[in-house]
Amino acid sequence: MNRSFSWKTVILLSALAIFMIFYPKIVDSYFLHLTVATFLAMIMASSWDILARTGQVSVGQAGLFGVGAYTAALLYQRVHIPPVLGMLAGAILATVVAFFLGYLTLRLRGIYFAITTIAFAEALSVIWLMTPRITGGAMGVSTPPLFNGNREQAYYLILIILALVIFVVWLIESSRLNFAFTAIRENEEVANVMGINPTRYKVLAFLISAFFTGFAGGFYSHYNTYIIPYEVFGLGISIACLVMPIFGGLYTIAGPIIGTILIKAIEEYLRVTFSYGHQIAYGLILVVVVLFMPEGLLGLWKRKIFPLFKQPHRV
Amino acid sequence: MTLLRVKDLSKHFGGLTAVQNVSFEIHRGEIVSLIGPNGAGKTTIFNLISGVYTPDSGGILLDNEDLVGRRPFEVCQKGIGRTFQIMQPFPHMTVLENVMTSGLFGRVPKISMRQAEEETKELCQLVGLGDKQKAFPKNLTVADQKRIEIARALAIKPKLLLLDEVMSGLTPTETGEAIKLVRRLRENGTTIFLIEHVMKVVMGISDRVIVLHHGEKIAEGTSTEVANDPKVIKAYLGEKVEESEK
Repeated sequence: MNRSFSWKTVILLSALAIFMIFYPKIVDSYFLHLTVATFLAMIMASSWDILARTGQVSVGQAGLFGVGAYTAALLYQRVHIPPVLGMLAGAILATVVAFFLGYLTLRLRGIYFAITTIAFAEALSVIWLMTPRITGGAMGVSTPPLFNGNREQAYYLILIILALVIFVVWLIESSRLNFAFTAIRENEEVANVMGINPTRYKVLAFLISAFFTGFAGGFYSHYNTYIIPYEVFGLGISIACLVMPIFGGLYTIAGPIIGTILIKAIEEYLRVTFSYGHQIAYGLILVVVVLFMPEGLLGLWKRKIFPLFKQPHRV
Repeated sequence: MTLLRVKDLSKHFGGLTAVQNVSFEIHRGEIVSLIGPNGAGKTTIFNLISGVYTPDSGGILLDNEDLVGRRPFEVCQKGIGRTFQIMQPFPHMTVLENVMTSGLFGRVPKISMRQAEEETKELCQLVGLGDKQKAFPKNLTVADQKRIEIARALAIKPKLLLLDEVMSGLTPTETGEAIKLVRRLRENGTTIFLIEHVMKVVMGISDRVIVLHHGEKIAEGTSTEVANDPKVIKAYLGEKVEESEK
């Protein structure tokens, strides 16, 4: 909850920004594609973590992702809305859906919200399959390649959105919202007696989370050019959203980012060597992290590894 | 002048009557104690006033404004601060952050982060946590954790402060300090309503004492009046042997 910026941070951030801007010139097209996929996952991981800060576990981010994806794709298919506007529309619609879902279920405490979110994503998937004339059904919807297949432009778009997400998380961390979110997570009853309206802040966190997840969905549909309900509403996406921040370290800016990089690296390696291996990896990582490193990689680094490099105090 | 007026308050949990037709008033600037044997309904009354429970019937008026049906955060913003009998600090927040949270959200109109931080620091000095602002609650003593509770309740600048057994579990020295603190708060204009088991404390600081037994108010008055009331003695010590055999 520290808001001061040191010169070191400013220089480091500027260097990172310049590197990111010239990044597409350095790497080849395939690696650029991997980077885009990784950034997309980072956006979803960070969005999930925003909601997790209020103590709510969403296992249905795929529902919001799918709403965003289909909104963008169908708007393009039916009325030829420009892709970026379609993504924005997807983000807004996901937020509206999250408002109704959150308003109804976030009053409940504990596991109910998590269960409802799973049901929500699954229900959407079924609805999509049953209404093929509106939604394209099991055949899915296809759109032409984003920016005529120009990967560099897609990279810059997703980079901007990622930067925006990180900025929003930073804003949350340095504002009074951080106090409200943390207080609700630690003890909702006490937070309530101290003047915090728990439902309001949980819904707010869910809305922010939904907006970016919806945008990610819209981007995915255009970037991938083809979506089907099984995939965009699938449990796989919901699980990915939560494994990455848990692995990296919850309730931090860097945690979801680091977690995503490592998981994507593992996933890519396994994809080449061992099909569907990444799903096993997700499971294993979840078990190991929950049992042995509840604060994720960041916590492990801060508590166990970092002290090893420090000069021992001389007595 | 009346600050809090509680009228015919009742609350049942299933078949159990926790509070039955309780009425009382608390005047501005008073220190009032609520006493009674275990299970008498003292904490239930606090939970009813602070909005954690909704009463089955009856009224709660703060400055003539009805509080029945308001949720806890609204009651807090109306100016009622409370502590919990079992200390419940936020474990992953420092002392400063614990207290600041309350200041940031319990105050109407809202105050800035900077102002909240400054006020919190002053408050920590006042309750005796001045040098422990960066500590985490789990590393503090029971007495210091109770200080967090009090500081959090005070951070909303309450008109009425509800203290639920803040002195229990403290050493005699710590109790002495806590009594001084309560007196100082009253001098600063806070009205205090407290639940207490330590009779020495009740007798020493209360302007008035309300006695609860089986959810009903059985006596009310100055500490001397209450201490000599036969109904109170009966509730606490039981009947005399000859009487009960009659």
